[in-house]
Amino acid sequence: MAGNRHRQRRAWATAGRHGLLILFAVISLYPILVTWFTALRPAMQSQQDPFGLPWPPIWENVANAWVKGRFGDYLMNSVIIAIPTVIGVVVLSALAGYGIARFRFPGRALAFGAILLGLTIPFQSVMIPLYYQLLQMGLLGSYWAVILPGIAFGLPFGVFLMAAFFEDLPKELHEAARVDGCSELRIFWSVMLPLAKPAVSTLIVFQFMRTWNEFLMPLLYLQDEAKRPIPLGLMFFQGTYTRDIGLIAAGVTLATVPVIIVYLIFQRQFVRGLTAGAVK
Amino acid sequence: MAGLWFVLPALVVYFMFFGLPFLATIGLSFTDWNGLGWPDFTGIANYARLAVDGAMWSALANNLIWVVLGTVVPVVVGLILAVMLWSDARGSVAYRTIFFLPVILSPVVIGVIWGWIYNPLFGLLNTGLREIGLGRWATGWLGESETALYAVLLTAIWSYFGFCIVVLFAGLQKVNPELVEAARIDGASAPQRFRHVIVPQIAPVLTMVIVYTVIGGFNAFDMVWVMTQGGPNNASEVIATYTYEVAFRGNEYGYGATLSMVMSVVALLAAWATMVLRRRAG
Repeated sequence: MAGNRHRQRRAWATAGRHGLLILFAVISLYPILVTWFTALRPAMQSQQDPFGLPWPPIWENVANAWVKGRFGDYLMNSVIIAIPTVIGVVVLSALAGYGIARFRFPGRALAFGAILLGLTIPFQSVMIPLYYQLLQMGLLGSYWAVILPGIAFGLPFGVFLMAAFFEDLPKELHEAARVDGCSELRIFWSVMLPLAKPAVSTLIVFQFMRTWNEFLMPLLYLQDEAKRPIPLGLMFFQGTYTRDIGLIAAGVTLATVPVIIVYLIFQRQFVRGLTAGAVK
Repeated sequence: MAGLWFVLPALVVYFMFFGLPFLATIGLSFTDWNGLGWPDFTGIANYARLAVDGAMWSALANNLIWVVLGTVVPVVVGLILAVMLWSDARGSVAYRTIFFLPVILSPVVIGVIWGWIYNPLFGLLNTGLREIGLGRWATGWLGESETALYAVLLTAIWSYFGFCIVVLFAGLQKVNPELVEAARIDGASAPQRFRHVIVPQIAPVLTMVIVYTVIGGFNAFDMVWVMTQGGPNNASEVIATYTYEVAFRGNEYGYGATLSMVMSVVALLAAWATMVLRRRAG
């Protein structure tokens, strides 16, 4: 009897627990799903019945957003900005993190401290002079105006992550390679870097997401309409077509679907990348 | 000396595009400059102006609301859900995949989605309220001074509570289940076990999550800019949007630099305070 009642209470507790989890799963998903639905039906229908399913789906909004809304161009711009930024951050961070973790040289503590300071200082604290600096260098309005500062702002976390990783590798590895007569650069390139794959993949995903979602930097330094990355493109798009919710929803769909697909494929790297700083 | 050659390329880029403009911001914060010609040195006049700048203080007050609610709500929700996932593994991966989904989206995308949910005429929120007979609660969520800040803040919380869950869940993996079981046998209730056995073991991860939400709360910009631009009547103004407006709309680059120094100091203080707390905690 008592055991039975106990089991019943446990069953209720389990049901309650999953009820709450499902509720929050719906809260997480619904706003995204309903935006996709809105993209796949006529605007009229969305206004009359915003909760209805888009059946049969229409693709007119998505096609319009791609062509008229230039989302194809924005997607391309985001790729053009993200690739060099990610490569720059990963290469420079791996080199610097290795140098800091494996060597003792004058100014080492100062260099590391200065780079770590960048973990807390917000972009707003450099945005004004940087604008004029980029103007003077003739870079303002070009992709470089967001790539180069993007690399600089990626370095604090990148160097921190790579230094922590190389710090954990056994010292003997380095000694052995040196005894074999390898040059320092050679040791780094063919012994250390291959070992650092997990840290590198974490950094790639983290930096990619950060660059892909960056907003203020292109808002300030990339005012040429033809060079806007997705977030910026979406904001101006929303301003231009305020009344056409089907078209805006289609824009959001084009901005979210690729990212979500990539996330579902590389989920582990995503979670590790975005939570690396917090769990360490 | 070989180490220096490894670090040098990073240092050069970092100094060019972070160090140099940061030093320039410090210098600029003591001047009056409209962006043309040479800045006029005005000593500490800008810093004195901070003291009497009501708009700045009300923006900072909004940041404080953001920091408090934007930390307490997602951390409490995150803790509860993370412990639930931890104590009952069924479907845990699927739940975490879904909770983490908003975390990967850009704040601009999220701002546009929720701007549409809050739309006074055809937004989901008002339509839903009308359908369940609460139509009198329907309002222009982003257009009213009383609700604008909270509507944006709720959106921000939606975007990262999944981050809190996943990080706290990772922290819970290090909790020793035998200790929890022992406490249960000793007669500790579930809340007691949670408070005295589980929480102390995940304290470092908990502190890190709080650092993230606190620093994020002081730096909030993207979502506010996309959803309200700090309006209506500065009701949802935060220090970052105010700084942007002063500098790039008012063309007051000297005072703008001073405001961005405020942001740096606040961020450094927050990081420092958390480090002290963390050291004291363990």
